[in-house]
Amino acid sequence: METKNRIKNVLVTLLKIKPEELKDGISLQDSIGVDSTEMVETVIALEKEFGTKLSAKEVTKFNTIEQITNTINSKLTNSKLK
Amino acid sequence: MEKIAITGIGVVAPSGIGKRQFWANIKAGRSFVKKITRFDASKYPSHIAGQIDELEKYSHISERLLKKIDAFSHMALIASELALQDAGINIKNEDPNLIGIFLGNAIGGWLYAETELRDLYLEGREGVSPYMASAWFPAAPQGQVSIYYGIKGFSKTVVADRASSLEAIGYARKTLSKNKLNMILAGGMEAPVTPYALLCCNTYGGLTTDNEHPETAYRPFDKNKSGFVIGEGAGIMVMEGIIRAKKRNANISAVISGYASNCDGYDRIQPDTNGKELARAIKSALSDAKVNPEDIGYISLDGLALDLWDNSEVKAIKEVFGNKAKDIPVSCPKSMFGNLLGASGALDLIITLLAMEHSLLPPTINLDNPNPNGLNYVAKEAREHKISKALIISRGRGGINAAMVIEKP
Repeated sequence: METKNRIKNVLVTLLKIKPEELKDGISLQDSIGVDSTEMVETVIALEKEFGTKLSAKEVTKFNTIEQITNTINSKLTNSKLK
Repeated sequence: MEKIAITGIGVVAPSGIGKRQFWANIKAGRSFVKKITRFDASKYPSHIAGQIDELEKYSHISERLLKKIDAFSHMALIASELALQDAGINIKNEDPNLIGIFLGNAIGGWLYAETELRDLYLEGREGVSPYMASAWFPAAPQGQVSIYYGIKGFSKTVVADRASSLEAIGYARKTLSKNKLNMILAGGMEAPVTPYALLCCNTYGGLTTDNEHPETAYRPFDKNKSGFVIGEGAGIMVMEGIIRAKKRNANISAVISGYASNCDGYDRIQPDTNGKELARAIKSALSDAKVNPEDIGYISLDGLALDLWDNSEVKAIKEVFGNKAKDIPVSCPKSMFGNLLGASGALDLIITLLAMEHSLLPPTINLDNPNPNGLNYVAKEAREHKISKALIISRGRGGINAAMVIEKP
């Protein structure tokens, strides 16, 4: 849950959108119309927020918040195991 | 060739945003040249400018978009909206494939570019905003306006130094007259009040260093001229064929009846001293308009306030207008708010349209002792005068000459 909220905060601050615009279960492209350049910025901001490397293929505008949360959580778990 | 009408005006300038406020300040002869406050410019040889404060206050643009675009695109978006409102056009009722955007600027979006370049050297590759690539380049405003309104017709950005926007408007007229589009948003925008852009303007050597007297520093055609002052802003107009304009009962400010542009082929910066090519451009524009020189009721001057430029401009006018040169009222109203470089021609055209509408000649401020002499300068104060045909002159470094003739419909 905490990861999901942190991702939402990153998006709200970065893209200057209202929190209620971000809807669960819908891709970023469909809920807030993210374009590819915004996605580049988003990936960099998420990397900074979570201290982990993310590729543009792992986090895309076609993902939902939940999918991005899962991707980041599994990255964080893997890095702890190592 | 069908006549092309101007039916909407959008202006964003140091003298005002929107044509009412802008014209009120122009006709009052108020100067808006001040010390630069946006950043510490005190160490620059010239640190005065026509600056627009509180642009956001007038903006309809979201913060999400604002962070992706440079100030010059922001100004173009506001000026486009004002022009469409003034023309009474709802873009939703138009065919987007038959609308074009023709804009001019000289330097691109430097506020964005230089901030990101600083970050590149301080923070490395990842410090640079991904919007950099689409924010700074000269055609960015054209792209932003097209995205904002969903405009999809043939469009162009013209880069021709200070003549950029008059060239863009000339090109727009040509395109409309071929019946390729229904309407065009045409004009220009420039945002040179940034640390790097101001530095380049300073190294060019044409700026006045009379920093202690900002309001009287820009003195085109005056004996004590000392160079020009930069300004920022945008001027965008709605242009359409006169048949369509009449059919929809549009308020037609004027029709563009003639246009010509050429080059001096002389020097990479300075104009040809004898003004021969400028004279040829003016003659071509008059001939294109089928107008005799003596029918011109007002000339809007380029007026860079540098001897070489002002002298050659006056020489060209004397060559074209002969004995009549001393009678035709001429002025350089940009002395009030600065030279908008690539957007200067669009602003000059807008002022001339408003002068026609109000039958009032806008003044050249700070013109105490005309030099060179021999023209009918409208100095210091506006003067009542009916204008039915007018000439606008715009020039650029490297000897670019553009001349446009407009007339009341």
